[in-house]
Amino acid sequence: MSTAAEAIEAERAPAVRAPVLAIRDLAVTFPGAVKALRGVTLDIAPGEIVGLVGESGSGKSVLGLAALGLLPPAATITGSVLLDGRQMVGTSDEERRLARRRYAGAVFQDPMTSLNPTMKVGRQVAEAAGSTEAAIEALERARVPEPRRRAGQYPHELSGGLRQRVMIAMAIAGSPDLVVADEPTTALDVTVQAEILALLTTIRDETGSSILFVTHDLAVAAELADRIAVLYGGRLAEIGPAADVLHRPCHPYTVALMAARLRGDSPRATMLPTLEGEPPDPRALPPGCPFAPRCPLAEPACDAALPEPEAAPTHDGLVACLHAGESAGARLRVREAPSPRGDPEGAATLDVGVPLGQKRGPTGATPHPGPALLLTDITKAFGKGDRRRAVVDGLSLEVPAGGSLALVGESGCGKTTTLRMAVGLENPDGGEIHVGPGGSPQLVFQDAGASLTPWLTVGEMLEERLRTDGLDAPARRTRSVEVLQMVGLPADVATRRPRQLSGGQRQRVALARAVAVPPALLACDEPISALDVSLAATVLNLLMNLRAELGMAMLFVTHDLAAARFIGDRVAVMAGGRIIEEGPSEDILTNPQHPHTAALVGAIPRFEAHA
Amino acid sequence: MGVAEPVTLGGALPLRRRAIPSLKVGRLEKIGLAVLALTTIGALAAPLLAPYAPTLPVSAGPLLKPSAAHLLGTDDLSRDIASRVLYGIRSSWFSAIAVIASGVLIGGLIGLVAGFKGGWVDTVLMRITDLFLALPGPILAIAIVASLGPSLPHTLLAVGVVWWPWYARIVRGEVRALMVRPHIDAARLARIGRMRLAFRHALPGALPAVLVTASLDVGNLVLTLAGLAFIGLGAPPPAPELGSMVAQGLPYFFGQPWVCLAPAVAIFVLAFAANLAGDGIRDLLRHT
Repeated sequence: MSTAAEAIEAERAPAVRAPVLAIRDLAVTFPGAVKALRGVTLDIAPGEIVGLVGESGSGKSVLGLAALGLLPPAATITGSVLLDGRQMVGTSDEERRLARRRYAGAVFQDPMTSLNPTMKVGRQVAEAAGSTEAAIEALERARVPEPRRRAGQYPHELSGGLRQRVMIAMAIAGSPDLVVADEPTTALDVTVQAEILALLTTIRDETGSSILFVTHDLAVAAELADRIAVLYGGRLAEIGPAADVLHRPCHPYTVALMAARLRGDSPRATMLPTLEGEPPDPRALPPGCPFAPRCPLAEPACDAALPEPEAAPTHDGLVACLHAGESAGARLRVREAPSPRGDPEGAATLDVGVPLGQKRGPTGATPHPGPALLLTDITKAFGKGDRRRAVVDGLSLEVPAGGSLALVGESGCGKTTTLRMAVGLENPDGGEIHVGPGGSPQLVFQDAGASLTPWLTVGEMLEERLRTDGLDAPARRTRSVEVLQMVGLPADVATRRPRQLSGGQRQRVALARAVAVPPALLACDEPISALDVSLAATVLNLLMNLRAELGMAMLFVTHDLAAARFIGDRVAVMAGGRIIEEGPSEDILTNPQHPHTAALVGAIPRFEAHA
Repeated sequence: MGVAEPVTLGGALPLRRRAIPSLKVGRLEKIGLAVLALTTIGALAAPLLAPYAPTLPVSAGPLLKPSAAHLLGTDDLSRDIASRVLYGIRSSWFSAIAVIASGVLIGGLIGLVAGFKGGWVDTVLMRITDLFLALPGPILAIAIVASLGPSLPHTLLAVGVVWWPWYARIVRGEVRALMVRPHIDAARLARIGRMRLAFRHALPGALPAVLVTASLDVGNLVLTLAGLAFIGLGAPPPAPELGSMVAQGLPYFFGQPWVCLAPAVAIFVLAFAANLAGDGIRDLLRHT
């Protein structure tokens, strides 16, 4: 444990470039034996941006909170966290609060819940900055346009991007040495995300603040981080210079994350590489390497003991893997390129290079001629009186039978409303909707978990869906097991309720119900935007396979052009309630015509580590 | 300063939800639940437990002090107070349950229809509900008892008439909130029939709120009914009714205080235990 002497020492010798944040062997356990962190050591140098990457439950947010000394009192914390030499573990609330106030700033995912809705933003920033003038200056530094006018507004009057800028202004108002940014761009549109990432880099360059950037998205971390730390099961899997971790990864998990990431040029005719299984449950972690159960290279030794971080063979960083010395990364990466099936070394492959379904396009059912969905000049407005606002405004689109169309646009462009009208959950004010023959259109919701009735079992929900198909009870039971198998779930899932399932399983159950009676059209509302990278690839593969198997048409709504290109034969870009550009998916990405489309294409994170 | 103190971390939510220490039911609430359980058993078994008939005088005499033969003494009409209190608890308890059951049934159904249908159906049903809510319970009880004659069912009818609107409001609010959730849309898309949608996909979501309200209402009703009985709006004598027993024992307060204190304490314990138990049930539901 650190002493006051140490703290004084740190203050006396500011010339020594001591790390701004020094974490030593940090372990955090929550009640219920939830092991969020298990011995993490990490330094952040002055002016450095460290990207902390991990899937949900990896402990990344807990690490961010620990750095700020903000863990709830119920948490058991061991190890040491020095923020500018001030101990943040085991010290009093007051000491931690003072250290935080002086040395740290924080930006969280949802600025709406972090900002006080009843207070003008200027006053809120002034609380952190000390004076109104300092607040205006902080807003300026956060590149808030017209800072004086904005300071007089309430949070709800600002757009999501502006709110996040206000949060950033609050975080940097006291010229902190460290800014902890926890998923600050996850809730934002891609173009806004790109702006915020650029802003954070600029702020680091201008003020010299270090940034701990917590994210689930490797590509986002790649945009601004100097170093990337990959967290898995509460342990550091790999840490190193951003370019090295991205392009010469050593840990099989990092390799897999890179491979599973959907890019603008992922081959469309093959499955995306995926990782089997799901992230470990922090309540029941294996004794050995937490990644071993999913690792293609795992051997008995991996399950025996936790691997300690050691110097990585391919880069100037650390990796915690028994196979690192054998250059595990290289062994895996070989197989990333689509290889002919029947590869002799098939044992250690990630699931790559396997053709999708039988073949691309409809096979299972003969599609009827004519479109599966035809929207003609659709309009829809919400609100009353003066506040009535057209959300969809003269929109026309066509999804051919068995074809797939990806509808891309930023939040508020009307894409979800269009989708809801297409499946009949909403009626248009004007225009015509024509649905082709076959099973009624189904929708896969953005939040698959919320689309399942919490108190019903999976079996009850599936059988309920099959009732409408005129099957008798035993036939319904058989069919629901079949459907579960189709989405890769064991039959015993039928007896469980949604909250007993993992996120990935819930997603599959939602899909199973949507295709239990094969629909002519499957509409998907951002089905992967809330998912971890490895899970997203699995879901995309599953969707593509189901589409090929059942011959259904697909309307896929997303804000992610890379996903749109992968899943859609054609892509339609939507803005302001209408389609502004439509064409074959490859053309849209390589040769966007409309400036808005070009901006969306430009905002796709590209894994070019800036370091 | 860098951090607004109440921190919500979007990314950390799944973990934090798991991390929240599972708050168990507090000790006081446990005692409440235990007392309520004992009372329920006592109420059910009153005919077996009561040493004497509640409405008949015993030979020992009136206004006797508590003794081994008469644990709580006897009242002015030489009846065994312990037996009367036991029966009184039974009657209070069952009356409360009856009013709540009718409230849950009528209010629940009206609330479900209003919340599920929305639109003008909702408006009409909720205005009717408001109308009933505006009726003053005790005055209505006086009116009903005055016109139909004093009897427990009449009192219960009067209380029941003003009690259900609360449940209608709660169920309607919960159902309306549920109706905009994705699982209802998903069920609609799965072509699930309207009845099934209402009773299987919407109504169960309102159950926890109703259960909590109902359990907290028991204490409320025990007090309300005792109060009505105290002013003579309960079961007519000689029925063993806690409220009327207190009223009846009041003249002897200074000489033989046990006559009115025994039923008064019983009312207090019953209401207090019911409230504690209600809190306990709420905690249980919130944390599972």
